[in-house]
Amino acid sequence: MPRIKDVDTVAPDDQTTAPVTPKPPKKPVTTPNAPADVAPDIASLSDTVYNIFGHTKHSFSSSLIMPKVFNFTEKDDDETILLALRSHWFTNVPWIISLIVMLFVPTLIGFVPTFSLAFNLKIIITFAWYLITFAYSFEQFLSWYFDVYIVTNHRVIDIDFNNLLDKKFSEADLARIQDVTSRVSGVSQTIFNYGTVLIQTAAEKNQIIFDKVPNPEKIVKVLQDLRHIAEKDSTNGGLE
Amino acid sequence: MLQNIGLYLYLFQKLAVVLGTILYLVFGVIIVKQTSTMTKNINDKFNFVLIAFAYLHLAFSVFLVFLTLVML
Repeated sequence: MPRIKDVDTVAPDDQTTAPVTPKPPKKPVTTPNAPADVAPDIASLSDTVYNIFGHTKHSFSSSLIMPKVFNFTEKDDDETILLALRSHWFTNVPWIISLIVMLFVPTLIGFVPTFSLAFNLKIIITFAWYLITFAYSFEQFLSWYFDVYIVTNHRVIDIDFNNLLDKKFSEADLARIQDVTSRVSGVSQTIFNYGTVLIQTAAEKNQIIFDKVPNPEKIVKVLQDLRHIAEKDSTNGGLE
Repeated sequence: MLQNIGLYLYLFQKLAVVLGTILYLVFGVIIVKQTSTMTKNINDKFNFVLIAFAYLHLAFSVFLVFLTLVML
């Protein structure tokens, strides 16, 4: 009677007609957006961030998780961006309202009968007004778009463009983070779930503030987890 | 005499507006410079759009100076 040939039930010492080929080793489960050549530590770090934050929905999002395109000048070659944060979208609402009001100002002034100017001057002033309106809103958008807080596998970074040509760069190693706290105060922050994250560090700049960032509790959790991993790995030469 | 005062006022007004538009043109250049600095520091998908907007704004600022010189 022929012996059963199902390889799953074949005992190691059983002889089968067909040679039993070993199954290929299972690929490690990694997050789809993680770079292919990442070291296991990076994969586990990205998994930690993905598990807490989920995935980025679009490029204008306030939280970019493992962004592919996003980059900054001071980034080291062996550094991977885990999280890039901007202020919550709701912080843009005041200047958007101002923009809408500014757009209607020339029309409203046109209704005031006492306000009379020469036609040519009127055209120039109106044109200049719309240019100023554009410049104002563009400046506000640039401030929001480029004031970023970055968490990499090595450090926490705060890049601020305070005014027209002033750039401020602050950083602290993950392993040097001492305490992370979050604060959500006020009606809008409570409704839209954004707030301030205070990062106490042992670095030269002893405090880094993530201002008006979305999901502050999640950021605290991410930073705490990353700090634990960094502390654990610091004895082995730091995170790769 | 009154005609002269009117002429001086007109010239002063024109000079002020032209000066204002030239100052605004300088501001337009600063915005281009700022946008370039920002995009150099942080690379992102939409940087070229922002630079395009900055240059567009500069072009309109130049146009405003010409408009002032021609129309006033």
